[in-house]
Amino acid sequence: MTESLTQPRPETAGTGVVRPTTVAEAAQVLSGSTGSVLFRGGATQLDWAGRVPDPDLVVDTTDLSGVLTHNPGDMTASVRAGTTLIALQDQLAGAGQWLALDPPTASAGATVGGLLATGDSGPSRLRYGGIRDLVIGVTIVLADGTVARSGGHVIKNVAGYDLAKLVHGSLGSLALVAEVVVRLHPLPERSVTFTGDADAAQATAAALALAASPLEPAAVEWASAADAGRLLVRVDGTEASVDAAGRSLTELLAGLGVTLTALSAPDATSAWQAHAAAVVGSDDETVVRVAGLPSDLADLAGSAQDAARVADLRVVVVSSAALGMHTVRLSGGSPTGHAQALTQLRGRALERGASVLLRRRSPELDGLVEALGPPPSSADLLRRIKAEFDPTGRCAPGRFSPWF
Amino acid sequence: MEDRGTVTVLTPTDQPGPAPETPTHLSPPTAGAALADQLRAQLAPDRIITDLTRLRTYECDGITGYRVVPALVALPESTDEVALVVAACARAGVPYVARGAGTGLSGGALPVADGVVISLARMRRVLDVDLVNQRMTVEPGVTNSDITKAVAAHDLYFAPDPSSQTVCTIGGNIAENSGGAHCMKYGFTTNHVHAMTLVLPDASVVTVGGDGAEQVGPDLRGAVIGSEGTLAIATSVTVRLLRKPEAVRTLVADFASAEAAGEAVSGIIAAGIIPAAVEMLDALAIEACEAAVHAGYSLDTAAALVVELDGPTAECDEGFARVEEICLEAGATHLRFAADPDERMLIWKGRKAAFAAMGRISPDYFVQDGVIPRTRLGEVLARMQVMADDAGLRVANVFHAGDGNLHPLVLYDAAVPGESERGEHLSTAIAELCVEMGGSITGEHGVGTDKACSMPKMFSEDDLAVMKRLRAAFDPDGISNPGKIFPTPRLCGERPGPYRVHPLEAAGLIERM
Ligand SMILES: Cc1cc2nc3c(=O)[nH]c(=O)nc-3n(C[C@H](O)[C@H](O)[C@H](O)COP(=O)(O)OP(=O)(O)OC[C@H]3O[C@@H](n4cnc5c(N)ncnc54)[C@H](O)[C@@H]3O)c2cc1C
Repeated sequence: MTESLTQPRPETAGTGVVRPTTVAEAAQVLSGSTGSVLFRGGATQLDWAGRVPDPDLVVDTTDLSGVLTHNPGDMTASVRAGTTLIALQDQLAGAGQWLALDPPTASAGATVGGLLATGDSGPSRLRYGGIRDLVIGVTIVLADGTVARSGGHVIKNVAGYDLAKLVHGSLGSLALVAEVVVRLHPLPERSVTFTGDADAAQATAAALALAASPLEPAAVEWASAADAGRLLVRVDGTEASVDAAGRSLTELLAGLGVTLTALSAPDATSAWQAHAAAVVGSDDETVVRVAGLPSDLADLAGSAQDAARVADLRVVVVSSAALGMHTVRLSGGSPTGHAQALTQLRGRALERGASVLLRRRSPELDGLVEALGPPPSSADLLRRIKAEFDPTGRCAPGRFSPWF
Repeated sequence: MEDRGTVTVLTPTDQPGPAPETPTHLSPPTAGAALADQLRAQLAPDRIITDLTRLRTYECDGITGYRVVPALVALPESTDEVALVVAACARAGVPYVARGAGTGLSGGALPVADGVVISLARMRRVLDVDLVNQRMTVEPGVTNSDITKAVAAHDLYFAPDPSSQTVCTIGGNIAENSGGAHCMKYGFTTNHVHAMTLVLPDASVVTVGGDGAEQVGPDLRGAVIGSEGTLAIATSVTVRLLRKPEAVRTLVADFASAEAAGEAVSGIIAAGIIPAAVEMLDALAIEACEAAVHAGYSLDTAAALVVELDGPTAECDEGFARVEEICLEAGATHLRFAADPDERMLIWKGRKAAFAAMGRISPDYFVQDGVIPRTRLGEVLARMQVMADDAGLRVANVFHAGDGNLHPLVLYDAAVPGESERGEHLSTAIAELCVEMGGSITGEHGVGTDKACSMPKMFSEDDLAVMKRLRAAFDPDGISNPGKIFPTPRLCGERPGPYRVHPLEAAGLIERM
């Protein structure tokens, strides 16, 4: 934290940026300032949900970084929130371990704290769970500078409320995530990725068949393409077990008309990189995340395609098929077209009981369509939580507007 | 792997426990009578209990040392009825406590004097089974085992498996974030719940979580799970079901010392194997289990490990061969392999009967539940032995060794003057030793009434104050299970040595590891 930045002056026009290096400094920054504040990690997911217009202060966690502990024998590690996932994985790999998380924004520098605040995950969630399942302790700093910790350094622990769950998905609206303790997994001895052409209906059938089988794949992903689409299935295990699992799942999916082939290691790496990029999308696109029942994949992909067709847009759907999580990317056309397609898709998805989160859109869309859909039954409760944690409403104002 | 009918854990003592914290808005007993009349008019009269004899059934949970008779017990049969009872309590300013099967081991379901107990025992319906998407929606009074039973024919099961599973309810599992022997690989209740319908303390009904694996906004589902009935009452729960693993392999390995057994566990972890379960029993625990269940554990060994691997057959077999080698390298004196599902069940029956079996070797005992970083097991066992010797008491040990969750059982005889006090002190000191070792005062039984006074050992005042902000958002008037989790001067008095952050720790230079 540089001298000039330790004293944020929210009264002056424009946004001040502070980069605390410790939890205590972060607390000092927040207790010693007023005005709206945006917490920023790797800045890879800042556009999710409602926009935060011109915050008075940005608390950037870039320098609040570093692995604090790594206990290989206990399979736990603690990090300052601004530690990038990549940096953490590098350090853990030396001990043959990893934080079993592969979000699409990892390569762009997503931080562990930012990932907890967004709740983002990647293909491996199928086998290892999402970040909410992997975080065992957290330190947060509230808007008034109060520092609080919950959980701890042990995997099993039910003492006190789990504040990590509360900040999970809060997108910086409740508190700054300052430190995170995670449980680790052994790096698999071997991973093999299989690929095969499949349309949405086949992908749905394949995902459900794999879930009903005892094969325990690590990831089952699907992406639409001009010619229907493509499945990516990964198996983690030992030298021998991966081969056995590969044979069984190839046979299983052949029965559904999907022909799988194993990718070489370099081909698998580039296939997964391309897949992650397809989830992230680009600035001029509208990116919507839809999560519903796995059996609804074909229906939701169809809805996305219908919505795009009506508005004359291009559409790509990328799915964590067995988890029922889909990223819909709309491009081309006009802002009104995007707004119209988003409204139609959101309506259809909510009808099916799915959740919908707007992840990216161009600023021109802002006046045309609400960032959030209708409020959930818990909106009142969320408002009360917000009032308790951030009574002056300074953390990311607008993020969940109009819910809270 | 069931231990039917063995849920009474502690021998009842006639000593009353510490008085529970009474909320400041304590209502006169007449408020209870008025409330009973009002609820009888709204619910069927036979679902409101005020008769003292019947009320006594609800005066405690699995920790029978704490007893409080409530003013009345309500037995709602639907979400609407739960909301109706909560609304009546809220209007009258009368506190209430939700109750499942009452098997909790931290006094979580302990009634509040002059308060209401809302028993979910009559809400036992399965509301929806979705085999394709592997989930099921049930009412809160459905037992843990009944969830699995309903879908076992389809090769599905509910993973959290507390030893009390044939009796305890999913509502209680939610409230305690219960685990079991298999949580090292499969996690706890929180990892297996998609959505819940909740009745909040203002009687409003909300849904948290949902069909999708991701929800927009804070994870309220996760915040409520493990909150011990202090934030909301769950009236329906959608659980995630898992496909039964293709293969399961189980062995029991005997060791000449607990340290050697601990070394084997470390070796298994270091080999990159994540067992479905690793349980350790010491000689005293084995003696008790064998007396109760005859599961075939060796009586002449210092410690035994139960190691179970599951998963795809190839992976499981390969890992199992490695586990066998590692156990032998660590000095295992005897290996027993479960030859078939029946033998495996018997091994588990022995392990799961451990708490109840203590009655065979001691008139009374306290069940402790602490967690340590697994790598400090040897150190902790040695310290515990010294502490037990100092107190002149025996401690039997059964634990989930894979995740460092210890269940020391402090044996005592209430008939001997002073022993129960010494036992209680020793048990508390052991839980607090776990914190000193970088662990937790509770891994699965919860804080409840029993450990509220130990919370300051683990959390700072600010930590607790912020947790209370969450409580205030859900329950501003503090009527939902008051007196649990958080220490109060009345319950705890002045206790020495509260949690203090070491200056180096504050600077981020050391960790409590
Ligand atoms: C022999 C024995 C073995 C055990 N083994 C294990 C074990 O291996 N692992 C483990 O984790 N636990 C274990 N336990 C502890 C206990 O069984 C669990 O905590 C269980 O989840 C409690 O369920 P219950 O239905 O009995 O809840 P209760 O004891 O009735 O209540 C427990 C808490 O849940 C709250 N509650 C109940 N229902 C609801 C609801 N619908 N909504 C909100 N709050 C609610 C109550 O207010 C209370 O705070 C064991 C207990 C015994 C007696």
